[in-house]
Amino acid sequence: MSATAWLQPLVDAVLPPDVHDFWAGRINPAWSRTRVLARVAARRTISCDAVALELVPNRNHRGLLPGQHLNVTVEIGGIRHVRSYSPSLLAGDPRRLEITVKRVEGGLVSNWLCDGAAIGDVVELGGAYGDMTTDAVSGPLVCLAAGSGITPFLAMARAQALVGMPRVLTLLYWAGRRDELCHIDELQALAARFPNFCLRVVLTRDSADADQGERLQAAHLAGLAEAGATVLACGPAGFVATARELAAATGAGFLGEAFSLPEADAVSGAPVRVTLARSRRELVVPAGQTLLTALEAQGLKPASGCRMGICNTCACGKLEGTSEDARTGERQHEPSLALRICISSARSDLVLDL
Amino acid sequence: MSTSLSRKLSPAELERFAAELDAVRAKAVADLGEKDARYIRRIVAAVRWTGFGGRALIYLGILFPWAWLAGALMLGLSKILDNMELGHNVIHGQYDFLGDPALNGKTFEWDIVGTSDNWRQTHNYMHHTYTNIKGVDDDVGYGVLRLFPEQRWKPHYLLQPFYAVIFALLFQWGVAIQELRLGQLFNGRKSWATFREEFAPVGRKMRSQVFKDYVVFPLLAGPFFLTVAAGNLLANGIRNVWTFSIIFCGHFTRDAEIFPKSVLKDETRGHWYYRQIRGSSNLTGGRLMNLLSGNLSHQIEHHLYPDIPAWRYAGMAVEVREICQRYGVHYNTGSFWSQAWQVTWRILRHAFPSRVTGSPVAVREPAAA
Repeated sequence: MSATAWLQPLVDAVLPPDVHDFWAGRINPAWSRTRVLARVAARRTISCDAVALELVPNRNHRGLLPGQHLNVTVEIGGIRHVRSYSPSLLAGDPRRLEITVKRVEGGLVSNWLCDGAAIGDVVELGGAYGDMTTDAVSGPLVCLAAGSGITPFLAMARAQALVGMPRVLTLLYWAGRRDELCHIDELQALAARFPNFCLRVVLTRDSADADQGERLQAAHLAGLAEAGATVLACGPAGFVATARELAAATGAGFLGEAFSLPEADAVSGAPVRVTLARSRRELVVPAGQTLLTALEAQGLKPASGCRMGICNTCACGKLEGTSEDARTGERQHEPSLALRICISSARSDLVLDL
Repeated sequence: MSTSLSRKLSPAELERFAAELDAVRAKAVADLGEKDARYIRRIVAAVRWTGFGGRALIYLGILFPWAWLAGALMLGLSKILDNMELGHNVIHGQYDFLGDPALNGKTFEWDIVGTSDNWRQTHNYMHHTYTNIKGVDDDVGYGVLRLFPEQRWKPHYLLQPFYAVIFALLFQWGVAIQELRLGQLFNGRKSWATFREEFAPVGRKMRSQVFKDYVVFPLLAGPFFLTVAAGNLLANGIRNVWTFSIIFCGHFTRDAEIFPKSVLKDETRGHWYYRQIRGSSNLTGGRLMNLLSGNLSHQIEHHLYPDIPAWRYAGMAVEVREICQRYGVHYNTGSFWSQAWQVTWRILRHAFPSRVTGSPVAVREPAAA
C-alpha cells in the first residue's frame, strides 16, 4: 500500500471523481481523475469514404499493442455512443493515436466522426482489448484485411517498420475500388523499403484496374502458409470466418478479429444466446420473451421490483445485441447502460452485465 | 375522510384512461434528446457552482456575518438542487438514455447521509409501485406520524407535532434509516447480525458525509472551524426542512387518499394510474417552484411518469389535467402555503383519535363476473 493510498477514500469523500472532473474539465476538457479522455488533434481524408483522426489521450491511457482495439465513445446530440476502432501510433509516439474511420451508410457515429469531429473535440477511450497482436505468435505473419480491417495491420506494419521490420509480414488487402483503399501510399512505401514486407492489393469491384481479383479463396493462401506462418484476419464476420476455414485447411495457426454487422432480428420463440458477463454464464432463451421471465425460468434471480418498467430496480447494462421494449415494440441495437429487463426481450444474441 | 372527490371509473373507462395517459407518455419519449442532456448538465453546473460559492461565502463569513448567512443559504440551495432536481430524478433513471455513467440511475450517489441504493429500494420500488397503500407504502407517515384516520391511533401519536418538527430538521437522517426498518429490530423480527450487515454501507455514507461537512471543511478554517461547521449545519437543515415540506405536500394534503392492500390484486394499468393521481397533489408556483422542488410541484405527473425527465412535467400537465377533467378524476393542486397548511392540519388533527367518516367508498369496481 503506497504512502498515500489511505488518503484516497478521504479525498473521495470531499471531492468525488465526478466533482473533480467537473472542475478540472472547466480548465481542460480532457482532464479527468480516472477516465481516459482524448482530444482530436488532427484530421485528414485518406480515401473516398474514410477519414483518419489523430487522438491525443490524457494521462490515464494505459497504452495498447498494435493489432488491439479499443472503444471510442463520442457524444452526439447529448447522447453517448460507443464504437470500436484499432488505432496505430503516429511516429511511434504512444501519446498520438490515429484511428481510421470508414463511413458506414446510415451509420450515426462513422458519419459524425467523418463530418462533424473537429480539432479540439474530446472523446472517451476504453481499455485496449484483443489477442491479435504480433507478440502473440512467432514466425512469419500472413495478414488478410478487408475494408476497414486494414487498421490493425497498419498498426503492426508501422510498429514493425520502426524497428526495421524483423518479422516477415505479408499483407493481402481487399477493397471494392481503388479509391476506397486507406493509407495505400504509406503501405506501398513500406513495401518498397522493406524486403520483409510484402503487400498485395485485391480489388473486387473495379474490373478495369490491374489489381482486380477475386474474393478471398484458397488460392490466395497457396504457398504462404509454409515455414510456420500464422494467418491473421480482420474484416466483416463472413470474411474472417472464410479466412479461419482456409487457414485450418492449410494447417496454419490463426488469429482473427471480426466486426459483425447487425444481423436480422430473431423471430419470437427462436432461441437466442444470452451471455451474462459478470457471472460468466451463457443461457439460451426464447426471443420475444421478457428477459426477467426468461432468466427466472432458468433458475436465476436477477434483482427486480415492480415488474412493470417503472422502478428501475431490474435495470442492468446491455453490452451487445438487439433488445426490444415489450411495451412499444421499439428495437434497440446500441449498447445500453440501463436496460430494464422486466419489459425488454431479446431479438438477437445478447451480452448483459449481470 | 374517505369520500373521494374522484368519480368511480368502470374497467372499460380505466382502459381508455390508461391509453390516453400512455399517449402523453409516448409523445414525451419520442422527444427525448439533446434538450434533456443540456438541461441536466446545466443543473449539474448549478449544483457545483452554488456549492462552491456557498462554501466560499461561509469562509468569508469568518469576517462578515452577512456572508456567513448568504453562504449557508447558497450551500443549502446547492444541496436542495443536488437532492431534488438532480439526484432524485437521475436515480429514477430519467437520464439513463444519455448513456452517461455520471448520470446513471443505478450508480449515482447523492449528497445526503442516506445511500442511493437504499433510496432505490424504498422510493423507486416500494413507494412508486405501492403509492399510498396502507401498510405497504412506508412513506405514509414514515412509521412515525399518523396522517390518515385509517391508521390506527395509539397514545404516542399525541406528541407527533413535536416529532414532526424534529423529523423535518433531521429529514436526511430519517431517509437514511428508512430502509433499515428499525421497528423490526426492536420487536425482535430482525437479528442484530442482519442489522449490522445492512447498516454497514449506510454507516460508511454517514461517516463520509459527516467527515466532509463537519471535519474537513471546518478544519480548513483553522481556529474558526465552528463558524464553518455551523454554516454547513444550517445548510443541511435548510435542505432537510425544504425536502420534508415538498415531500409531505405531495401526498398528505386534505384530498389525498390512501388505499387498502386489496386494490393491488390484479390491478390494471388504468387503475394504477388512477390510484397515483388520487394519492398525489401538486403545487402551483411557476418555474422557480418547479426548479426548487425538483419538479415535485408536479407530483401527479411524477407519479404517472417517474422515468420521464422531470422538467417535462409542466408541459405534460396541461394534457394530464385535461384528461382528468374529462374523466371526472380530481386533480389536486394548490399554492405551497395552502397545501402545507393542509398537511400541518393532518399532523395536528390525527395526533388525536379520529375515525373514518362517511361510509367507505369502494375504490374499485368488483371484478366482472
